[in-house]
Amino acid sequence: MEAVLRHLTNILELLAVSQTDHVSEWDRHTTLRAFQWAEYCEQLHSRFQCNPAVRSALESALSDTNQRLQQALPSCSPVMFSELAQCQHMLLIHLLTNPSAPNSVIPILFPDPKTAAQDSQFDQNSLITCKSAFNLLCRTSDRTSYAGLHVEAVVRGKLLGNLLNSVLSRTGNDEYARTLLDSILHDSAGKPESLYDVIAAALLSPDDETNSVVPHFILAWLQEQDGCLSKLCKSLSPGLCTVISRQSREFKQAYWGVLKQWASCLEFDVLEGLWVPTSDEPVTFIILTDRFKELLNSGPPLKEETETELKTLKREAGDFNVKGICIWTDVIIQLKL
Amino acid sequence: MEAVSDTDVQFWMAKAMIWGEDLSCSALLDTSRHLCSLRSFLQQVLQGLQQMSSTSEAMKTFPFVGQFLGRLCWNPCVIADERSQRLLLRCLSCLYSAEPLNAVEQKANMWIKDMLCHLISEEEGSVAHTTVKHAGVTPKRYHSEALQKVVSLMTEEVIKSCDGLPNTARCLNGNIHTMSTACVALVTCLEMSPLIGALLKHSVLCGCSCLNQEFIKEINEALISKRLVLEDEAVVNLWCYSPTCLEGAAVSFLESVLSGHETMTQSLDKHVNDSLLPRASAHHCHIFLTVNEIYRNVLTEIDENLAVRALIQVFTACFLQRLTGQKPQDRLPLRAFFPNVTPCLLTPLLTAPSEVPREAWLDHLSWIRSLLQSVTENEEAGEDGRAYQAVFEAWFLLVQCGYWVDTAAELLVLAAPENAEPLLWLLTFFHHPTNRGHQRSQQTAVAREAWTHLRMLKPHFAFIFINFTVFSHGPVSIITEITDKVLTEAAVKRRALWILALIRCRLNSAATRDDRVYSRLRTLQDTLL
Repeated sequence: MEAVLRHLTNILELLAVSQTDHVSEWDRHTTLRAFQWAEYCEQLHSRFQCNPAVRSALESALSDTNQRLQQALPSCSPVMFSELAQCQHMLLIHLLTNPSAPNSVIPILFPDPKTAAQDSQFDQNSLITCKSAFNLLCRTSDRTSYAGLHVEAVVRGKLLGNLLNSVLSRTGNDEYARTLLDSILHDSAGKPESLYDVIAAALLSPDDETNSVVPHFILAWLQEQDGCLSKLCKSLSPGLCTVISRQSREFKQAYWGVLKQWASCLEFDVLEGLWVPTSDEPVTFIILTDRFKELLNSGPPLKEETETELKTLKREAGDFNVKGICIWTDVIIQLKL
Repeated sequence: MEAVSDTDVQFWMAKAMIWGEDLSCSALLDTSRHLCSLRSFLQQVLQGLQQMSSTSEAMKTFPFVGQFLGRLCWNPCVIADERSQRLLLRCLSCLYSAEPLNAVEQKANMWIKDMLCHLISEEEGSVAHTTVKHAGVTPKRYHSEALQKVVSLMTEEVIKSCDGLPNTARCLNGNIHTMSTACVALVTCLEMSPLIGALLKHSVLCGCSCLNQEFIKEINEALISKRLVLEDEAVVNLWCYSPTCLEGAAVSFLESVLSGHETMTQSLDKHVNDSLLPRASAHHCHIFLTVNEIYRNVLTEIDENLAVRALIQVFTACFLQRLTGQKPQDRLPLRAFFPNVTPCLLTPLLTAPSEVPREAWLDHLSWIRSLLQSVTENEEAGEDGRAYQAVFEAWFLLVQCGYWVDTAAELLVLAAPENAEPLLWLLTFFHHPTNRGHQRSQQTAVAREAWTHLRMLKPHFAFIFINFTVFSHGPVSIITEITDKVLTEAAVKRRALWILALIRCRLNSAATRDDRVYSRLRTLQDTLL
């Protein structure tokens, strides 16, 4: 175990150095050795990814080393345990993007396709082919025939679902699974809408509806993130939210919760005679009613359940039949229920 | 010397710009249509670059190359095509300097590294980048799984799009053509085979022909050059959909048999079955008829057609085996597969000797002979081409069912004289189907005599053999074959030469000199000496 931790530290140092100008001293031998270490590291990840005890030991070693390296080399980025699966790839990218990398190193990493063996360590052809084939097929499948989602989101969602499923299938990995989702969310901070599509697909993904571990987990995680569930529901189309609600009771409940929260942000403007938003939430009365309309158009049992819920809400708020007092009354009137 | 012409450069630069990164249907269609010629052009560019001594020289000689390669590297359709991808990477490799000598070369290096980075990774901050980064597997594995998933989703779409009834007027999914267009570049990609199979199956089930022609062509070429392996059913569907592909497969199989070493009958039937032609023929009558037509034409056109006859015989035997393996309700009547033959010939000839008890072979062969004889007698009686055609068809059926000819020859060795007649007739008919000048009875008589002599003179085998070689009408190449295989021993050779000497004497004293026989004799003598 000691040896393993030492090796892990070595790798991190290598990765850090590859991002600095010290890399200019690397020769062919050093480079090949670095990749050997990186490969070993990938094996470590694959062996211990789902083993909570060992993984946490590795994670704390990682954390210590990251801190140390950050102080010495501020420019290099910390490495998470999950990223160790792609150690060789990370190293390759560092060498390609670091201007100080020696010029002689690149031809080693991209050998002449004619002479190199098909499955050599540095064969990028199958990666490039699969990646571009995937891109090509996704782009040509322009019909959003998967509950309104684009096929790329569906595939990425399924893969995410599979990953979570394998991690969660062994006990003691909940925290790790949460970290994974946290990292993904954090890295998408700029453009979360596409991520929301992927998450929606992951919620829909288990092909056998008996397996609800992953949707349950994702939903719980969404509710822990401040405002995340609301943003997700806003980003997804009314139709898509309806489809997910049909498939998952839990989501349906959570979705209703979000809609109720949106409703609570609307106030009746007596002068205009309209419900208007009070907070920054860009939710309007129309948006709210559209959401309910979609739920009601979905057919049994969701249709009946939604009707019942709306009527209950109206009753609990005082059972008014006049417009302008209770939002639920107005929603019901608007939808002609 | 200009490795690449200016017109070509202009053409391809314009194309690369039009295609851009746009993947509208029309851009995709255009790209896939040009992939083949693009590859040739890239090959030329590569050769040009390889002759350069430095990157600076390359950039001066081919100023377009940076922009051109860059645009192509951003085009997923081009990159997804494995052969184009390799050419592009090799070009980039040529332009890379391990020891850059000036700013141009350094800049080129940086640009190439950027390009490589783009090819193997995703745009930072994109959902693609994030999901791949935290996927817990290598990017290669991730994308392979992603590709498999998208293929499986699209395959499901294709399967659902046709309601299964053949010849429905309208294809429910107008996307089939677009999908097949996208697949042109991806035909040899392993993960694609379920989608390719589904598209081919769809094309057969659905009445519409909406598959991209380039797609079909690529599959066919990849199959023939063995760059692609498809499920058997997919290959058969391809042949059903495209008669051109079927003809190509039949011809290329014939060529492989004629030129290859598997012309020995032992492995020939395995070879034939592996070609999938018998299986496809058993399930689709039109396939059988097409293949037959092709082989028949070849048979009548070439002289040395023993190999073709063997192939036809083995192919038919494998086909019949497949046919009997089918469920009775699925089976078409034999007449459908042999439409031009006199129907009464079908049963006796298409029943294999293995299905008839050995004791009954002679009777069976007599039956066949009498049927064939009546067909030939009709030819003699009638003047029109139709009767001649009937004889040809009957003869061709005999070629197809050549196992009966082999059986006749086998029986002939041990047959009693009174039983030999039908066997001899059959063999004569087999080798000389036409009876112009009423030679058949004459030939049969000759054959009978020869056979009688053969039997009586078994001890004088070499003698008989030599005589046959000299006097027969078979091809002269038989002579070298015989000397190689039979007259190998020195003592035997000497005896043969003596026999030849005797024959020569006899010929010299004949009234007229037969030049043909003479030259054969000389040839045999020369090869023995």
